[in-house]
Amino acid sequence: MTRRRLALVGAVLLAAACVERLTAPGHCPDFCPSGQITVVDTLLTTSINRDSSYRGYVVSYQSPVMLAAFLSDTTGTLDGRPIFRFNGFGPRLPVSSVDTGQIIDADSARLQLYIVRRDTATHNLRLQFYRLPTTIDTTTTFDSLAGQFTDTVKIVNIDALLAQPGQKDPLTGDSVVVDTVNHRWLLSLKFDAAAARYDGTSDSGAVAYGIRIAADTLASIAFGKGSVGPVLQWYLRVDSLGMPVARKPGILGTTLANFVFAPAPAPLDSTLAVGGVPSARSLLRVAFPKFIRDSSQIIRGTLFLVPAVAARGAPADSFVMEARTVLADFGRKSPIDARLDDPIVIHPGATDTIKIEVTSMLQLWAADTTHPTVFLLRSRAEAQYFGEIRFYPSKAALRPTLQITYVKQFPFGVP
Amino acid sequence: MRAAVRRSGGRAVGTAVVAAVFLTASPPDRLTAQDSQFGIRGLGTPGRWESVRSRSSGGAFAPFDALSPLMEAPLADISQLTATAAGGTSHRDAQLGDTITKLRATRFPLMGVAGRVAPRLVISGGFTTYLDRSWDVTLRDSTVLRGELERYRDEITSDGSVGDIRLAAASRLSRRLAIGAGIHILGGSTRMTAERRFDDSTFHAVGQVAEVRYDGFGVSGSVLIGVAPGLTIAGWARADNRLRAQVGDSTIALTDLPRMAGAGLLLAPSPRVRFAGSAAWRSWSNAGPGAFDTWSWSAGAEFGSGRMPIRLGVRGGQLPFGPGTKAPTEFAASAGTGRAFAQGRALIDLGVERLERRGGILTERVWTVLVGLTVRP
Repeated sequence: MTRRRLALVGAVLLAAACVERLTAPGHCPDFCPSGQITVVDTLLTTSINRDSSYRGYVVSYQSPVMLAAFLSDTTGTLDGRPIFRFNGFGPRLPVSSVDTGQIIDADSARLQLYIVRRDTATHNLRLQFYRLPTTIDTTTTFDSLAGQFTDTVKIVNIDALLAQPGQKDPLTGDSVVVDTVNHRWLLSLKFDAAAARYDGTSDSGAVAYGIRIAADTLASIAFGKGSVGPVLQWYLRVDSLGMPVARKPGILGTTLANFVFAPAPAPLDSTLAVGGVPSARSLLRVAFPKFIRDSSQIIRGTLFLVPAVAARGAPADSFVMEARTVLADFGRKSPIDARLDDPIVIHPGATDTIKIEVTSMLQLWAADTTHPTVFLLRSRAEAQYFGEIRFYPSKAALRPTLQITYVKQFPFGVP
Repeated sequence: MRAAVRRSGGRAVGTAVVAAVFLTASPPDRLTAQDSQFGIRGLGTPGRWESVRSRSSGGAFAPFDALSPLMEAPLADISQLTATAAGGTSHRDAQLGDTITKLRATRFPLMGVAGRVAPRLVISGGFTTYLDRSWDVTLRDSTVLRGELERYRDEITSDGSVGDIRLAAASRLSRRLAIGAGIHILGGSTRMTAERRFDDSTFHAVGQVAEVRYDGFGVSGSVLIGVAPGLTIAGWARADNRLRAQVGDSTIALTDLPRMAGAGLLLAPSPRVRFAGSAAWRSWSNAGPGAFDTWSWSAGAEFGSGRMPIRLGVRGGQLPFGPGTKAPTEFAASAGTGRAFAQGRALIDLGVERLERRGGILTERVWTVLVGLTVRP
């Protein structure tokens, strides 16, 4: 009996011992600790210095998209034109398992293109195709092709094509497939014998095209490259013992996919440039105050940048600028620290002060005192937008500033 | 007869094992005493240097109880090796204005071992809670940051205590006079955290942690005088130097600790009836602003045999830390009993206490259930 009572007492004690509840609402200052969490907010106006801009990190042919635009404003016209080339099959094609025949000409060809980015507000979007010299390469410039964009080989009105039943035009043989999952359009365009001229002798069947676009407003789109790049299906006629026979060789991908544009980006000056094509980046070196770094906890940091001019670019092509830090400060070749980034959307035409939250990076600098205290500003999708923004540098009156909110060390142990 | 002795011895050993498990299974930072909101703004909540037996009778018997670490002189009457420990669970209602918060804590505030090493000398070692520093405070408030009103929630916690490790010696000089003295090593630590979470997640959460270590030193002395048969008086005094708080290698605070003195009276008209009363003074105002000197008193009675007595008591007094210009007050009533096993080799004491503390707009009401275990192998 006594043992049972003892067991009961023990069980009750054990159950009670497992639960502890100490949390109580404070009534300050009478029933609170004497120390309090102290928050300080400070604006560092002169801590950012030795800033610099560099261009050329990603150039047009390295971009994963081909940009097409035709946008006019008071300052001029932004004209972007995709150019791409397919190699051919040479002068002959097999007609049997043992014989080859001379390629006479092309009956037609079918070109497939992906439009991977567009403005939903664009109306009456038209694509104009031009045949270009097969000598185009990564160094080809807008000016060098100026005379080549004269004779249109095909014009496609995308809006009209979308309005067709089944989104197919039975007269032209063109069609469009709307991929609502990936938000892109697949254009399948038929090029007739005149547009798809096959020259197997002098050009080995290579063919190059350029595209200009037009629309009622906001003509700015991006074509895919690589796995979603242009492909060409030839429909050829081959001589077989004096008789022309039809041949459908394999689908060809591009050997060059690039875009040219005008005007060229303005040369770098004392401002801090970010974005554009070729892409520009800016480095901002921060003299991080020791009193913040050593004895406080940063809870918010905001980088303020004042645009020197309105952000350039297609109106609908807002782009994401990101602030990062670098692993080592080697100037333009500084390796980027991929762990942290703080993004902000830049709207072309905007001149508002840009505020970027950089709390995580400041916390990293405070935790790792060997880490370079450098901000790197770049476009998240470099060379995928024409957009570019320029900020006042550290030597200007409207210089970059850093606002830091931090908490002082709590006075632990003070009665 | 031999079998009975063997069985008794076996129970005693078993009880000792249970006691050892009971004491060692608990993490050190839980070896703390009952805490209070009144100790948050100050050094902490002073511990009760009483065994469960004494506390069940309001603390009145503590000056005469060898197992209570208040005085050393009663140790002189210990005839054999004795170990004791205590545990308690408290349910506390903290009423701030109209808001009542229910709190709960379990503590193991006492352990001690004593034994005779010479015909006239008994020594003892053990620890008890000097200051409890376990609390958890939440606060909802707002502040203007970057021109906006930002609401936040603070939580500041402290988990730990300052322990009092006592090494004591006592001797009965004559049938009527026993004396004792002890040294006290104060030590312990608290793990403190300070957190702030803003409603606006743009501001990252604040989280700071520190381990605060404490140390100090004290000496004490006591005397027990048998005035007449059934009438004993006791007196004690103690002085502690200062409490040093350190974070890392830096000394954060040096706080003077109190000097204290007390006296007690024990009246035993018969072996089955005992009455006691005691009073103590402590100069806690040494600790700085917001601290007060305190008086405390207690009265209690114990009825019945040593096998299963009934204990009753009341106590009252002041708390050393609190808001305003007057020390908070407390009053408690308690009751308890005990049971001896294995021919008195093991004792279990049970007690219950109802306590009320008042100070400013805060009132605390506490129920505490106490369990004590004493082993004489």
